[in-house]
Amino acid sequence: MLLASAAVAQEKRGGTLVMGQSVPTAQFNNAVASGTGVMVPGAQLFASPLMHDESWNPKPYLAERWEIGADALSVTLHLRKDAVFHDGKPVTSEDVAFSILAIRDNHPFNTMLRPVERVDTPDPHTAIIRLKSPHPAILYAMGPPLMPILPKHVYGDGKPIKQHPNNARNVVGSGPFRLVDVKPGDQFVLERFDKFFIPGKPYLDRIIVKSYPDSQTSILEFEAGRLHIQPFFNRVLELERAKGNAQLGVTGKGYEAVGGINWLLFNNKKKPFDDIRVRQAIAHAIDKNFIVKALHKGLSKAATGPIHSGFPQYSPDVTAYPYDLKKAEQLLEAAGLKKGADGIRLKLTCDYYPGDEDGQKRLAEYMKPALKRVGIDVEVRAPADFAAWAKRMADKDFDISMDAAFAWGDPVIGVNRTYLSSNIRPLVFTNNAQYVNPKVDELLATAERESDQAKRKALYAEFQRIVTADVPLYWLTELPYHTIYNKKVQNVPTTIWGTASPMMDVWLAD
Amino acid sequence: MSAPPSSPRAPDAQSPTREAAQVFLRRPAALAGLVLFALIVGLSLLGPVLYEADPFDIASAPLTPPWSSEAWLGSDQQGRDVLTGLVYGGRATLAVGATAAGIAVLIGVTVGALAGYFGGVVDEMLMRIAEFFQVLPALLFAMVLATLFSPSLVVISLAIGVVSWPPTARLTRAEFLKLRELDFVAAERVIGASTGRILWKAILPNALPPLIVSATFAIGTAILFEASLSFLGLGDPNRMSWGLMIGAGRSYMLTCWWAVTFPGLMIFLAVLAISLIGDGLNDALNPKLRERR
Amino acid sequence: MALAAFVLRRFLYAAGLVLAVLVLNFVLIRLAPGDPTETLAGQMGGMTEEIRTELRQAYGLDLPMLQQLGIYVGRILRGDLGYSYFFNLPVTSLILERMPATILLLLASLTVSVTLGTTLGVLASRRPQGLLSQLITVGSVVGYSAPVFWTGMLLVILFASVFPILPVSGIRSAAVSQGALRDALDVARHLVLPALSLSFVQMAQYSRLTRASMLDVLGADYIRTARAKGLGESSVFFKHALRNAILPVVTIIGLQFGNMLAGAIVVETVFNWPGLGRLAFDSVLRRDYPTLLGLLFFSSLLVIVANQMTDLAYRFVDPRIKAG
Repeated sequence: MLLASAAVAQEKRGGTLVMGQSVPTAQFNNAVASGTGVMVPGAQLFASPLMHDESWNPKPYLAERWEIGADALSVTLHLRKDAVFHDGKPVTSEDVAFSILAIRDNHPFNTMLRPVERVDTPDPHTAIIRLKSPHPAILYAMGPPLMPILPKHVYGDGKPIKQHPNNARNVVGSGPFRLVDVKPGDQFVLERFDKFFIPGKPYLDRIIVKSYPDSQTSILEFEAGRLHIQPFFNRVLELERAKGNAQLGVTGKGYEAVGGINWLLFNNKKKPFDDIRVRQAIAHAIDKNFIVKALHKGLSKAATGPIHSGFPQYSPDVTAYPYDLKKAEQLLEAAGLKKGADGIRLKLTCDYYPGDEDGQKRLAEYMKPALKRVGIDVEVRAPADFAAWAKRMADKDFDISMDAAFAWGDPVIGVNRTYLSSNIRPLVFTNNAQYVNPKVDELLATAERESDQAKRKALYAEFQRIVTADVPLYWLTELPYHTIYNKKVQNVPTTIWGTASPMMDVWLAD
Repeated sequence: MSAPPSSPRAPDAQSPTREAAQVFLRRPAALAGLVLFALIVGLSLLGPVLYEADPFDIASAPLTPPWSSEAWLGSDQQGRDVLTGLVYGGRATLAVGATAAGIAVLIGVTVGALAGYFGGVVDEMLMRIAEFFQVLPALLFAMVLATLFSPSLVVISLAIGVVSWPPTARLTRAEFLKLRELDFVAAERVIGASTGRILWKAILPNALPPLIVSATFAIGTAILFEASLSFLGLGDPNRMSWGLMIGAGRSYMLTCWWAVTFPGLMIFLAVLAISLIGDGLNDALNPKLRERR
Repeated sequence: MALAAFVLRRFLYAAGLVLAVLVLNFVLIRLAPGDPTETLAGQMGGMTEEIRTELRQAYGLDLPMLQQLGIYVGRILRGDLGYSYFFNLPVTSLILERMPATILLLLASLTVSVTLGTTLGVLASRRPQGLLSQLITVGSVVGYSAPVFWTGMLLVILFASVFPILPVSGIRSAAVSQGALRDALDVARHLVLPALSLSFVQMAQYSRLTRASMLDVLGADYIRTARAKGLGESSVFFKHALRNAILPVVTIIGLQFGNMLAGAIVVETVFNWPGLGRLAFDSVLRRDYPTLLGLLFFSSLLVIVANQMTDLAYRFVDPRIKAG
């Protein structure tokens, strides 16, 4: 968990860390909402059963120990006995049971805890999660951004939990920090929780989280020394500027579990994209090296397939589509798309998900000159807003579109939805390529329940081989998320969850 | 925009027009406005004809600073040429300004004329509607309209027009109220002229001077309005306009000041020209003011 | 008695306007193409049919139209402007939380623009042909013509890179409270640039209006009479002319309220000022219809109230209206 010079330095207690965020936090209860705006503060306010290190190993947190039943149909959590909530009441197995069911029923990632049948509480410090089917992904679903343990006596008072008054104010958790002040749309203040169950932690007295809706302001504040750290930064221009500043550090570590990938979506049910040769040709016509080096200034990484390279299930053994214009043209000819007198063989439209300029809009705009070289005329359809784009996706009213998704810790949580034929639905962020391959459906279903890590990995490797050969969509880059920090900040969080895990080890040097 | 009423004249008064023109042309500020406006309109209409380019094209390296040989006024974060944008963006900006002002004047004059001429219940009802549109915060309402119906030039022009007609209606109503009592209108009535003829042929020409001034200012206001909407990200993304350039460059302004400064300057100059013309017209068409200067 | 009847009439009338705004709001949601639930899907990072149905119920999108309208009006009368799914807060509390920042900004820029604007206008009217007057006139045309966001952005560029002496973003520094006085000073420093850029346009309007109004009054008979009576020029100017000329300026303050709100949206966006304007901008970006419509309703209400107050104030201030 250590970065830079921390190994030699002596941890210093106290101090106020100023953290920037680009997405303002609407509320703090990450049991009922996803997104970085809620997951980062949620992980500071609430403790979760487990944590994870840099190499995907689960670590004790609220649970001192845990066992998985021999039939893989139960997970037993042995809770620490000294953990208390911010209001002084002890954390018990009742709270764990309440939280797990609340998350299962309310969290937007509905596959995350779907197999959970019930949670037994034989004593105040033991919780047994009963599963309908084996669910290895639960080891990651129990991590800080995804499984906050809520006090039942506060959030279980019968008020609807998604709109619970304690979600936005007077939040009660058992994490290292407690919420003391909220200035809506501007900043909120987290203060050290003195009775936090890990002795001596956290080091910081306080974290002020300030909203900078505009990344230019962030960089100005960094340069003035007023801002210490900002995670989930993906604007190339400001990242470049930060790299040139000797006071500042930039790291791409800490986003492995987020696992975001930008890709080009083909409408597989629409002519001529139903022809695999056309999809292959377009893939060959795209120069990923140019995208990474020129458009992203080397800050992103080329994606090779449906799973992020930081994931344990990642496999490099996939079909690649090297930049090859000749091959692209041959494939298009073979597919019967002949050039007209104007040198154009195909006209198509390209949409993009609005919101990530560098990752989406600029790549969509790159398609125009890139595909022109093989005789494809691209019209970029700038979406008026998210709803307009989402509607086009839901209605399958598109030729090709830029798209992206996050995996959040396990393929079951965030990868499957894009490839399962059962998930072809009139909704955004589903299988909008309308990809159907029974073999893939079967592989994913088996892998979802496979408890043996090695076997599971092999199943996902097979999945990656098949999907990249079918190329229902074409994976371009991993999301260029980075953390910018002032070099005074020690122990910058670099576990797989990064700042979406408790920042109890972070401290400020003079 | 509070143009005091002009004195009534017979319908075909030639000399006052000439006189007004003389007054207008003798004012250096008004003249400067006219020249500036002509230049801007000329650039926007002729520029794209003389200089062929696609304003959305990647013309040079992104973020090229101005005064360089490949991009005189620099390029934006996508490598789009700022000068090309200025040349091509004027049409949309001016078109929205003129259309929206046209819509506002059309609605305003119609409503105001009917209310002022008929009075009574008609007046009461129409003025209530006008007041309703006046209490709606114009920019916010236009934002809501542009958000609900995805922003195209037509939607934007309509949104601006719909929120900006009440002042014109009030002005027109006041003029018609006053003029309908005058002798030459009574004379028209006596000879059995139709209501339409009285309204449009007899009264309207006499009410024109303050309306012209008001319409002029309305164009300026509409341009500012379009620019604000574009700045807030509610411009038509498929048509280059000065406002769109500013909206796109907003989040890069500290690195790339030229991408927002130059289009802003064009908007400013266009509105300034129109305001100067409006002021000049106000003086020229308003004899009472003229005496005092 | 006449006054009470007048107030009552105005009140009923205002209530009618409020109701009309409500109906308009309602109609707007229904007219919108697409489904607001689509937008929420993105904010939630994914969505299921169940969540969608739940949302449609929460929005009341599954009921007959008239019933929906009835429910909507009833809710608003109880002070419930709906629920923002993006902010996860009732719209009413969201608006009330953001209001102080906007009021601070409006008051500051109102003070600056009215004081400076009228002063400049009066100065310009003393010698209508003088150099100062010409300068002020040109200045006010310039101020009126410059887009608010553009002057704001120029200020940001200038103060961010060239003279970094004033903060260009936000309402306060990232720090814990350091006592009321230092906190207030901190906010005041952040207030300078946004308040100034919002003031330019307003100032231009007030100075134009004051100048015109002064010239009007100075040409009136009673001023000639006052002069004929041999009163000193400054006495005539300040005691008689200014007092009368300021009247239209006072009334315009109420009517300008809507314009100032519009300016606040833009200025708050430029300077990241966490008020209602910034909220409006954020709601547009996220297509947060409940918040956007709540803001539309709330600001219409403010404008209606401001107009009624102006009307009333006018009745008290202007003797001629009372007589008539």
